[in-house]
Amino acid sequence: MMARFNFYAGATASAWLLATLVIVAELIVPFKTLLKTIFSHHWIGKAVAITLAFIIFGFLLKEKVSSGRFNESNIAWYSTIGNLLAILLFFVIEYFV
Amino acid sequence: MRDFVLFAHIILGLALIAFPILIITGLKKQSNWLKPFSILTAAVGWILLLPSGKLYLTFYPATKTLINAGSKPWLHSILMETKEHWGLLIPITATVAAGLVLTNRPEESKRWWILVIIISILVGVMGRIIKMGAV
Repeated sequence: MMARFNFYAGATASAWLLATLVIVAELIVPFKTLLKTIFSHHWIGKAVAITLAFIIFGFLLKEKVSSGRFNESNIAWYSTIGNLLAILLFFVIEYFV
Repeated sequence: MRDFVLFAHIILGLALIAFPILIITGLKKQSNWLKPFSILTAAVGWILLLPSGKLYLTFYPATKTLINAGSKPWLHSILMETKEHWGLLIPITATVAAGLVLTNRPEESKRWWILVIIISILVGVMGRIIKMGAV
């Protein structure tokens, strides 16, 4: 069961989806409103979406995806770190611009 | 109610710093408790969303109003916005780390446990700064 779940694929999908949802929701107000309408709060909507992405991509992408340095372990690692920094950077830019 | 949720938030947050440290120290010894303890730690990451969500959705709006009316609106616009979203990746990161331990890849799990510790510390520090700035 555990071997069938690709934790790296799930983490990669969640990280990219979270940063995307954060940026789109801030820039397109109707989208943030839509999340609020469906989930009662945009934060809950994002939590549900990235959890589902983690589960779905973890189960769907069971095969290892490796190509030199860009193996799935490093892709998940740098996606997570990169998207965490992107979220911080976005809010810094949004505040000052 | 608010105090209970706040204490739960702090205690579970501290557990997400302490537990991964214990796990990392136990990785080399291949201790028997590693797998169940890793599951427990990942579970703590998910459970933490409950008090976090309650504090953010029910009690934070009043603090937010106070912050935005004051001289340091960046406390909300930058720190709180970042904190509330980084926190969503903590359970995912902890689950990846636990999953690697469960699938017998303890060495690979190490950097993910370290990431759980770092995010938890940073989120905690941001929370403290926001709290101090709001009063």
